[in-house]
Amino acid sequence: MVNLDELIYRARELKPLPASVVRLAALVSSDEASLDEICDVIAYDQALTLSILRAANSAANGTAQRIKEVHEAVFRLGGARVLSLTISANTSKLLKRDARAYGLNEGELWLHSVAAATAAETLSEFARVSLPPETFTAALLHDVGKLVMSRFLDDNDLEKIHRAQTEGGLDPLAAESEILSVHHGELGGIIAQHWQLPERIVNGIIHHHTPEKGMDVICDAVYLSNIIAKRIDKTPEQAVIEPSADSLERLELKPAKIDAFVESAKRNFEIIKANYNAA
Amino acid sequence: MALSENNFKFIQDLAREAAAIVLEPGKEYLVETRLGPIATQSGFKSLDDFIDQLRQNPKTTLFHDQVIDAMTTNETSFFRDFHPFEALRQHILPRIIEQRAPLKRLNIWSAASSTGQEAYTIAMILREHFPKLGDWNVSIVATDLSPTVLAQAKLGLYSQLEVNRGLPAPLLMKYFTKVDAKWAIRDDVKKLVDFRQMNLAKPWPILPLFDIIFIRNVMIYFDVDSKKSILRRIRQCLQPQGTLFLGTAETTMNIDPDWVNLVYGKATVYQVKQPLLNAA
Repeated sequence: MVNLDELIYRARELKPLPASVVRLAALVSSDEASLDEICDVIAYDQALTLSILRAANSAANGTAQRIKEVHEAVFRLGGARVLSLTISANTSKLLKRDARAYGLNEGELWLHSVAAATAAETLSEFARVSLPPETFTAALLHDVGKLVMSRFLDDNDLEKIHRAQTEGGLDPLAAESEILSVHHGELGGIIAQHWQLPERIVNGIIHHHTPEKGMDVICDAVYLSNIIAKRIDKTPEQAVIEPSADSLERLELKPAKIDAFVESAKRNFEIIKANYNAA
Repeated sequence: MALSENNFKFIQDLAREAAAIVLEPGKEYLVETRLGPIATQSGFKSLDDFIDQLRQNPKTTLFHDQVIDAMTTNETSFFRDFHPFEALRQHILPRIIEQRAPLKRLNIWSAASSTGQEAYTIAMILREHFPKLGDWNVSIVATDLSPTVLAQAKLGLYSQLEVNRGLPAPLLMKYFTKVDAKWAIRDDVKKLVDFRQMNLAKPWPILPLFDIIFIRNVMIYFDVDSKKSILRRIRQCLQPQGTLFLGTAETTMNIDPDWVNLVYGKATVYQVKQPLLNAA
């Protein structure tokens, strides 16, 4: 029997995010934050400044002239991308680990996370509804719960989850919930809370498989980004999942546009992943 | 811990008889998952040994309650499915409060309340949106089969995982206080709810007439005869204009013809059919 308190304790053992990153996340999430305030937080942190300048000057942003000032870099990238790149710089070491319980080797979960963040960035061009600035970051971190879960489960737990799918006919998330009383999205939410990330990011991570329960468009955006990421990150043996009509409606995205969205996300992935790897 | 076919059948019958829980073939893994740890902790070498002991005297053995507890699915959350609570706040409560204003009395039942999230959700809605009920006699009766979950419900203490399930952050801040790693519901909300033990599959105790009954995601686990019996008994303890909430995947259709359904936004609720006053 899985000890839930211990599982949550493990999630809370992860290294906290630096205070400057927590402050940046709160600012980007806030409606009232000014560009100056965001720049002040970045300029205070030398490593963060370098990451943002590097990303702003990368090929992905097609800059003709070299950007040397934080202000210009933040203006060019936008608050949403500044936050996701900052979070990426602070979590990539963790996200690059394997999650063998989920069949993911070292680096594969990271690749999928970046693909999801890329899909979210691309979605902002295709969805008619305006996506909140926390979306890219929530997409990047949506599977972080798998890393803790994977290290916690033993072969016996995995066999039960497998049987719940094969014998009980449950989907992977329902099987996790039935056997463990918690699923990887919920555990990811606990980690995001431990990192003091904004509530919308927490909600987007928790409900990345159950957007109808999240009651916020960020959940639909992360849900769809995860599905599209599976089509573009080349993770082996991924079945093509059709997104729910309700989510597409909430995102104001016509089903006829999905193919164009996937193609655009695939093109962006090759370029944008360099940003995330460099961050 | 593997399970023999006979012993699975025994647990199937026990769960159906004691709590009207239907365990479909294929759920052997669930019996092994839920009962295996109890068997091990109780010193049995195998799950079959444990069930053999249970078989000797299933009604009185001390393992009986543990087994029923373990086989009951206690999935619940605050504001579960959201839409029924919007219908409650926007349509049902304003109508019933107007009807009951002369007596200033409101009775609500949360059946199969598990660890109390549904009952406390209703209590928070009353506190948050209907301050005029302050001098009313308001009662929320919450019942469940399991003494274990009732004890937790009465404590009103929830983990971060549990409050993350559906509870909006502003309500968490307003109606809960942090106690170590958990969240405790405020006393003035807690005192609105009266938790009692009750088995829906057995004869019911005397209940008050309710204005609103929530019995959601319960009947999906029951067979058709049990569903019919429960719906018939609900009719007897619901006010004539009272409202019944069922789970999203549940309905009275093709089970009990004496109900009509009403749709409010994305929620469906049920009322007992009224006799035609001027019928010839």
